[in-house]
Amino acid sequence: MTESQLIRQAADGNARAVRALYDRYAPRVFAVVRRIAGDDELAQDYAQEAWIRAVRALPTFRGDARFSTWLHRIAVNSALQALRKSETRRKREAPFPAEVPVGPRSGDTLLQRKLERALDALPEGMRQVLILHDVEGYTHEEIGDALGVAAGTSKSQLFKARAKMREMLSGLDGATEESGAEAWSI
Amino acid sequence: MEHLSIEALARLVDEAPRPEEAEHLAGCLTCRGELEAMRAQTHALASLPEIRPPLGDWEVLEARLRSDGLIQDEGFLTRIGLAQTPPWMRAAAAAALFLGGTLVGAGATARQAAGPGAQPAGSTVALFAEASNLDDAAAAVRVAEEQYVTALTRYRQLLAQDGGDVDTGDPRSRFAALEYLVAASQAAVRQAPADPFLNGLLASTLAEREATLRKISSRQDNWF
Repeated sequence: MTESQLIRQAADGNARAVRALYDRYAPRVFAVVRRIAGDDELAQDYAQEAWIRAVRALPTFRGDARFSTWLHRIAVNSALQALRKSETRRKREAPFPAEVPVGPRSGDTLLQRKLERALDALPEGMRQVLILHDVEGYTHEEIGDALGVAAGTSKSQLFKARAKMREMLSGLDGATEESGAEAWSI
Repeated sequence: MEHLSIEALARLVDEAPRPEEAEHLAGCLTCRGELEAMRAQTHALASLPEIRPPLGDWEVLEARLRSDGLIQDEGFLTRIGLAQTPPWMRAAAAAALFLGGTLVGAGATARQAAGPGAQPAGSTVALFAEASNLDDAAAAVRVAEEQYVTALTRYRQLLAQDGGDVDTGDPRSRFAALEYLVAASQAAVRQAPADPFLNGLLASTLAEREATLRKISSRQDNWF
């Protein structure tokens, strides 16, 4: 069955088709939402909300963009909106991610874990910009639209975020796994 | 010598250096090393893997999607491959099944009156009448379902033989189905001549058949 057939069936409420789309794209959706949220429990809530929004909006999907792109935008916007709504942010102590990364595209696992922990430890605004730009490939204009800030603001936040990441990762060099979390606290 | 700031190095990951920055980089091994490290960090971020959701995530999501009415299981007709059958044809098949059941049931009643052992197998009406518990009733529903599918499939075959287009609901297809219903209604009335419901059904079916026939005739008139 082609993806467009799956999408049509899912738009009609076919549970099996929705499941097939979920199986195909859930890791990508969860990854971006998890990184934006910076927290496992929040990530699960936000990812679920993103899927519900996407399934509800499926009848409006016209295929102008790739489905994966369309879904990804919904996931990002959904997570950002949810974060904005939440009045308090949990105190982060840079825990190791609980979930298991799948399908690494390159790089070693230890480096990826270091990066994930450093991302979690970044201040929220910096983290969002860094994830959207350096991880997800958004332009500063697109980030500005998503976050409601000027493109120039996005750019300056990106440079600060990269610098902060570099400081944290440098600080971790030579540190043990156990003491690393404290070394990264901001 | 003053080194480039770490934020300036962060900018130089994807922007060209200003002349003074380029000059400094050309002569400063430390800043060149830091810039390379910053580039490697950015590259590594772009290569982060996808993350599998926690176990049980789909089950939670599925429950929410169902409670919001956004998904449902495939319908019975979809499972048996007849979901595209026009609604009027399904209604006609259901009516035919009802009439068939009535006839079989009436015959069974007559046979029961004649003596034990006269009950025919497969009589849906009789099965429903005899059901005394949920299991029996469920079994009767399954039999009815099978008969419904058989009736619907037979309709499609008959219409296909007549060259009717089952998916457009054109008057010729409709007329063929109504012919079948009229015959079934007439048979039912012969079994129970005084039954007001069966007589009403026959009358309305005849009227509908005539109306459809007029529609076909008018189309042919227009053609010529």
